[in-house]
Amino acid sequence: MPRAKIYGYIAVIVAALLGCAFVYYAFIHYDMYASVHFDSIDTGAYWAVVLPIALVTLFVLATGFWVGYTILTIKVAPPMPEIIEKKDNSKFKAFLLCLVTIALAVWFVYGLYHHSYLAIAIPAACITLVILGMVFWVGIAIITTRSTLKNNK
Amino acid sequence: MRALFLCYRGNPFCGGQGIYLYNLTKELAKLGVAIDVIVGPPYPDPLDEWATVYKLENLNMWAIKTKHFPYEKLIKLYTPWHFVDYCLTRFHIFPEMETFSMKAFFLLRKLLKTNHYDIIHDVQCLGWGLLPMKGYGIPIVSTVHHPLTKDREADFLVDNTVWEMACTILFYPLTMQRIVINRLDRVITSSKEGINALNEAFHLPPEKVSVVDNGMDVEFFRNNGNPRKENTLLFVGNTEDHKKGLRYLFDAMTMLPEHVTLTIVDDGPPKRLTAWGWITERGLEKRVTFTGKVDLPTLVHLYSTSTILVMASLYEGFGLPAAEAMACNTPVVVTSAGALPEVVGDCGVIVPPKDAVALKEGILKLINNKALREELGKKGRKRVEDNFAWPVAAKNTLAVYHDVIQSYRSRI
Repeated sequence: MPRAKIYGYIAVIVAALLGCAFVYYAFIHYDMYASVHFDSIDTGAYWAVVLPIALVTLFVLATGFWVGYTILTIKVAPPMPEIIEKKDNSKFKAFLLCLVTIALAVWFVYGLYHHSYLAIAIPAACITLVILGMVFWVGIAIITTRSTLKNNK
Repeated sequence: MRALFLCYRGNPFCGGQGIYLYNLTKELAKLGVAIDVIVGPPYPDPLDEWATVYKLENLNMWAIKTKHFPYEKLIKLYTPWHFVDYCLTRFHIFPEMETFSMKAFFLLRKLLKTNHYDIIHDVQCLGWGLLPMKGYGIPIVSTVHHPLTKDREADFLVDNTVWEMACTILFYPLTMQRIVINRLDRVITSSKEGINALNEAFHLPPEKVSVVDNGMDVEFFRNNGNPRKENTLLFVGNTEDHKKGLRYLFDAMTMLPEHVTLTIVDDGPPKRLTAWGWITERGLEKRVTFTGKVDLPTLVHLYSTSTILVMASLYEGFGLPAAEAMACNTPVVVTSAGALPEVVGDCGVIVPPKDAVALKEGILKLINNKALREELGKKGRKRVEDNFAWPVAAKNTLAVYHDVIQSYRSRI
């Protein structure tokens, strides 16, 4: 078997195991409803863990808001009447996108302020699972794609 | 003097950056400048005679689904920069400029152990990697023919849904470019219109911009003497680029006599379907033909034998096809968008953009007047020889280098 395919199998297995382990320990095994606060953790340690996750989360939400805001404020005049008609509800959807991202950001910051477990766990899960998902998906593609390369001697 | 060029796409037959890199470095070398080039794929024709080339790999993953990746690309995806590229492209972000500039920065660190550079010349990348490069105390200039805001505006014109608009917004790295461009020592653009466009797009102060007319090979682009075909229009450009205003040209075609035909120098169906869709909507299938990609001698032949070159653009940072056609004594009908009036001057017919009726009238004016066509053709050739030859562009670029280096040294 080519070395790349072996790496593909390893990536798929490792990504799947890590993903399952993350979900199990973060959401199933851990009794988050019984102990939903990080109050017992030192403030410095809490923010050291939280800050990177908070920055990534707020960056993603800000990007969502920026996309919505840009669509809301596009000044380009469409040339074709049929496109003007089609674009009518796009401004409304963009407004909703802005609203949702602001609401999520406020909710997230509120959760951080109150040291909520879920406020950290949900974004951490999103980030981790997206990255592991990509590693997994590339691995699957490597395993299932037929090699077009000549045999490596 | 030793200059380091950075160009994230280098093929001289796909896009203006590659043509610019190839010809400008060649002419600068003739003026005594030692040239090193860091370039991404598609790689340029060999520059080895006058430059040292360092190639950076990029897998060009944008808009390709993972399952459609060829195997030789897939097995490289787990390397760090390729994986970053992969992740970002999955969110419809176009990361080529970001990752190219960062890879170029790390390569520069190695090169500086043995080489000394007086100036770094970035070609239209404006990536994050240019910021840490400033730490090495080398002045950096960048050539920007037009800001990407113009491409984005043109894409918005045809986006129908929120999803398409969101993808357009994520695609263009405008925030990065706005931050980076304002921290460079000088920006070179190819027209006076470019100064306004850069100011409008990135709030770039006009005093940080130098205008250097684009160059072209005036010896190669020359009328080949073959007889011209009457009533034949020529369009040269990327049919998927909405800035080209092709829909207005097709609208104008519906108002022109049936015997007027249009030849498009680009791929048509099945490779490229956008323009073909507009053609079939208007019933122009029998009057419009596609040549596909052509080599340069064929392009010169097409310029030399067509009646008129038409550019219906909504914006042009320069408008190379107009200059090439003029070099072949071919009259042009262009819009007044962007730098086209500066390129064409009084050697062609200029009409307002987004106005199919005005375009039709401009075309008819030339179609019906052979003497005017010949007069404009001769004037066009002279204008190109005087203004747009590569040696002239290289000489002016070198003058900008000297100015930038002098003012940089006076500051430190």
